[in-house]
Amino acid sequence: MSSRRSWAVGLLSASVVAGVVLVLVGTAAGDQQPEDVRALSDKLDDPEVIAQGRSLFERACVSCHGDGGQGSDFGPSLLSDGATGADFMLRTGRMPLASPVPQAPSKPQAFSDEETDALVAYVADLAEDRALPVVEAAAGDLVLGGELFRANCAPCHNASAIGGALSFGQHAPSLLEVPGQQIGEAMRFGPGEMPVFGEDVFSDHEMNSIVRYVDYLKDPDDPGGLSLGRIGPVTEGFAAWIIGMAALLIGIRWVTAKLWQRRTEETEVGV
Amino acid sequence: MTDVDTTEPAGPAPPGGSQAPVAAAFIVAIAGGAGLAVTYALGGQNQLEGLCLALALGGIGTGVVMWSKRFMPVRYESEPRAPLQSTPEERAAFEADLAAGGGTFQRRRLLTWLLGGGLGFLGLASIFPIASLGPNPVPGLKSTPYRKATDDPDGLRLVDESGNPIHHTEPNVNGVITAFPEGSVGDEQAQTLVIHLREPMREPLPGQEDWGIKLSVDGSETEIIAISKVCVHAGCPVGLFEEQSQLMLCPCHQSTFDLMEHARPVFGPASRPLPQLPIDLDDDGYIVARGDFAEPVGPGFWDMYK
Amino acid sequence: MTGAATPEPPVEGPRTRLGRLGDFFDKRLGLARLARAALDKIFPDQWSFLLGEIALYSFVILVGTGIFLALFFTAGQTTVTYDGSYAPLQGVEMSAAYQSALDLSFDVRAGLFFRQMHHWAALIFMAAIIVHMMRVFFTGAFRRPREINWVIGLSLFLLAFANGFAGYSLLDDQLSGTGLRIGNAAVISIPLVGTWIGSFLFGGDFPGDAIIGRLYSLHILVIPLLIAVLLAAHLTILIRHKHTHFPGKGARDDNVVGQRLWPTYTAKALGLFFITAGVLALMAGLLQINPIWLYGPFDIANVSSASQPDWYVGWLEGALRVMPNWTLSIFGYEIPNPFWGGVLLPGVTFSILYAWPWIEARLSGDRREHHVLDRPRDRPLRTALGVAVLVFYTVLGLAGADDVIAVAFGLSLNAWVWALRVGCIVLPIASAFITFRVCKELQLRDGPAPATGQRAPGGVTPAGDAGGDEAASSDPVPGPAVEPLERLDEAKTPVP
Repeated sequence: MSSRRSWAVGLLSASVVAGVVLVLVGTAAGDQQPEDVRALSDKLDDPEVIAQGRSLFERACVSCHGDGGQGSDFGPSLLSDGATGADFMLRTGRMPLASPVPQAPSKPQAFSDEETDALVAYVADLAEDRALPVVEAAAGDLVLGGELFRANCAPCHNASAIGGALSFGQHAPSLLEVPGQQIGEAMRFGPGEMPVFGEDVFSDHEMNSIVRYVDYLKDPDDPGGLSLGRIGPVTEGFAAWIIGMAALLIGIRWVTAKLWQRRTEETEVGV
Repeated sequence: MTDVDTTEPAGPAPPGGSQAPVAAAFIVAIAGGAGLAVTYALGGQNQLEGLCLALALGGIGTGVVMWSKRFMPVRYESEPRAPLQSTPEERAAFEADLAAGGGTFQRRRLLTWLLGGGLGFLGLASIFPIASLGPNPVPGLKSTPYRKATDDPDGLRLVDESGNPIHHTEPNVNGVITAFPEGSVGDEQAQTLVIHLREPMREPLPGQEDWGIKLSVDGSETEIIAISKVCVHAGCPVGLFEEQSQLMLCPCHQSTFDLMEHARPVFGPASRPLPQLPIDLDDDGYIVARGDFAEPVGPGFWDMYK
Repeated sequence: MTGAATPEPPVEGPRTRLGRLGDFFDKRLGLARLARAALDKIFPDQWSFLLGEIALYSFVILVGTGIFLALFFTAGQTTVTYDGSYAPLQGVEMSAAYQSALDLSFDVRAGLFFRQMHHWAALIFMAAIIVHMMRVFFTGAFRRPREINWVIGLSLFLLAFANGFAGYSLLDDQLSGTGLRIGNAAVISIPLVGTWIGSFLFGGDFPGDAIIGRLYSLHILVIPLLIAVLLAAHLTILIRHKHTHFPGKGARDDNVVGQRLWPTYTAKALGLFFITAGVLALMAGLLQINPIWLYGPFDIANVSSASQPDWYVGWLEGALRVMPNWTLSIFGYEIPNPFWGGVLLPGVTFSILYAWPWIEARLSGDRREHHVLDRPRDRPLRTALGVAVLVFYTVLGLAGADDVIAVAFGLSLNAWVWALRVGCIVLPIASAFITFRVCKELQLRDGPAPATGQRAPGGVTPAGDAGGDEAASSDPVPGPAVEPLERLDEAKTPVP
């Protein structure tokens, strides 16, 4: 069944206009596993790691976030971010920021894992907040995750997790390439315009369930064929015109064209 | 404008050439049809069904068109177009026949009038079954189940979508919960956003200054407010809470509401604030409504303020 | 012909099996005359005359696939618990309608294929209707005697539009419900009677428990029946009028030049039916449409960003989105905002479209019969107006997708909405101006007017021109208004 389908999908991927199709790349390798997160949690209060983080901070972050993370004209205070916020910002590559923009874009992680751990430890120390959610998507409930996702996440991130527009130039990013751990951190931390979904709103099980559903959305079955980006009626409408109507207009031109047609006779008929 | 080429000499058409392409198209159609039958018998598969059926249909279609182009006569002919309108004689004859048969209505005026009256009243009466389609609309649109809280000194608890009461510690600072009045979970008009603002609303509407719950969290003053989740423009749930800018955005038509200023619309087609719900805490620290929304919730209508 | 049936066919009778079959029916119904007239109907050979056929064939496919879907679909709003084979929704409470749509997609053999073919056919149906209407408009094929068919065609467009919206709303997924919510808001925004109509449609307040069942009756019975009846009228009138034709090659107002229906054109029309069906089958198999399992069951408190209607409703959605937040208060009564874009705009649009044949006749003073089509360049005012209208609704259609476009191109949603607000006024005017100039330029390049059997080109002519309706009504038997032809090679197409 699946081999036949992949054959068919492969055949058509080669043949259909690529412009209409959003090719969605799979998730990046090297996502944090639950044991990595637990190991990180364990060393967050290690003074040596914090000291390493401080020296790194003073080289890389202080120009915007100010001395001791107090904030400056160029960047916000980090005194209340804690481990969750720092881990999210650094591992999604949102920090460091190349230039001041309203909404930090996600990029490849800038620091090595070890440096990142140290910076997280330092920022966590500033807020005395070392709590870090441990996302274990496999322990989540796919169905529950789907229900919570559609009720709480889809308004901004879209039911297909492809992201959506917000006010005044901002947007809710696509979740299709965000590692599960960072999705959990974003719920707990509420980066940027995102509201906070704390443990009183979503239990750890509910958080895991949502992440599991997002993992499903990263590569759903698409039994109907090419996904058209799962954007809904907009891309479907464009496909109807660009593929369907275009093919049919070419069709009626061919049906009436003189191409391959016998030469005409002319007679007069009175019916 | 047309593809007709009248410069071709008239006479018998030359042979149309090989029939191989037409045959090939029909063979493709046969293969497609057979493939479809096999696919279906084996349990079906959407992509294969589409490909096989497209081959079957497309093969027949292109084959028949090619057949017509190659082997069927191409003759452009001019057919005269008779006038559409009838001749005066025909019209006169029609009018005469009509008058001859219709004379009975002229002669029996009373019966004609009575027949017309009977049909007219039948038509009038047949309008009224429309009323069976739905109830008188207005009461449901002008208030919500929160009205029960108005006369109840204890207020009416707000509950989440599972029916659990909402404790004031539940919405985190910068968090949002969708709530309903207790006993009316899923009521479209009554859906409510419970939002924990990181600072108290800057410009509440006059008379609504104490409609939220002011709290102190980690030394800073915050406020929990409750506003209608039904967009006052076209009724979509206003689901996007932009925490940093303290804006609510409706994803349907991008109406944007500023929470700091009593959820006043700042962009998009919405023309009035999202109505606020007066809330308080009961003795156990759960959030209760003290009354109904300040004005009708949801999209506007003609007599909403009457 | 009237001879009694005999065990042996008479010697002069038909010898082939087909001939005997024909003979059977002719003896009982006298069909040979009609059938021969049908076989000999003349079709002008021009590609744009096949646009309407694409719409017709799409409708046939919609009926066929729809019958299959109706065998499985449940139009109910009772709550059930899903236990089908789509794992992410197992155990979720949903309406019977949504459950049966999921079953169609996952547990009925070829069910998803038929669902997708039905939906793609609906999108193509609307596209073909609109392109067909554009052809009729820009070539002036709506003029006398075809005003009635213009009105019928427009009604078919409205019915198809309504049925598309009903079908989109039936499945009771999150997009369906969001669309219905907005539709309800537009209905109750109507002054005085809006809330009554809304209550009668939905059986009370939104969402109620009646709307899916009611839409289902409309979607599979009432509207398709009306479409079928009007289609029959549309085609009967077409046969009565005979086809229009483009100028040149002997085309005049008192003849029709083309090929006979039988056999060549029959083969082409039949072939086009199969090609249309083939394209739709290919799309249904390879392009996923409306993955309702991702949207989830409708929940009044949920909504997804990027909630759009199908493309042909996009202009209404766009009108709601770009409309500034104006409302009107009259003695304490309100005309709320959705009224402007959701009720007034479509009302004005379709009123003008219905009246257009008479509006244009009034403006041009030309009330004569026309069977030779205009070339769009020869009617620059009409062409410019048509282009402006198309651009206006296209901009609105893009506005209906403003959030998707803003994200796709990294634009600020608010700046983009402002650009669309300006664009839907400026772009139509600019495109009308450009179209007018292009038409004039093309006319100049053509040199003298082509032989159209009509008045000289140049768009609207002063009222009171000869050939107005006084001339027509004073003539008891007005034949086709044919004027002397220039440059027509009479020898090639002799007139009987």
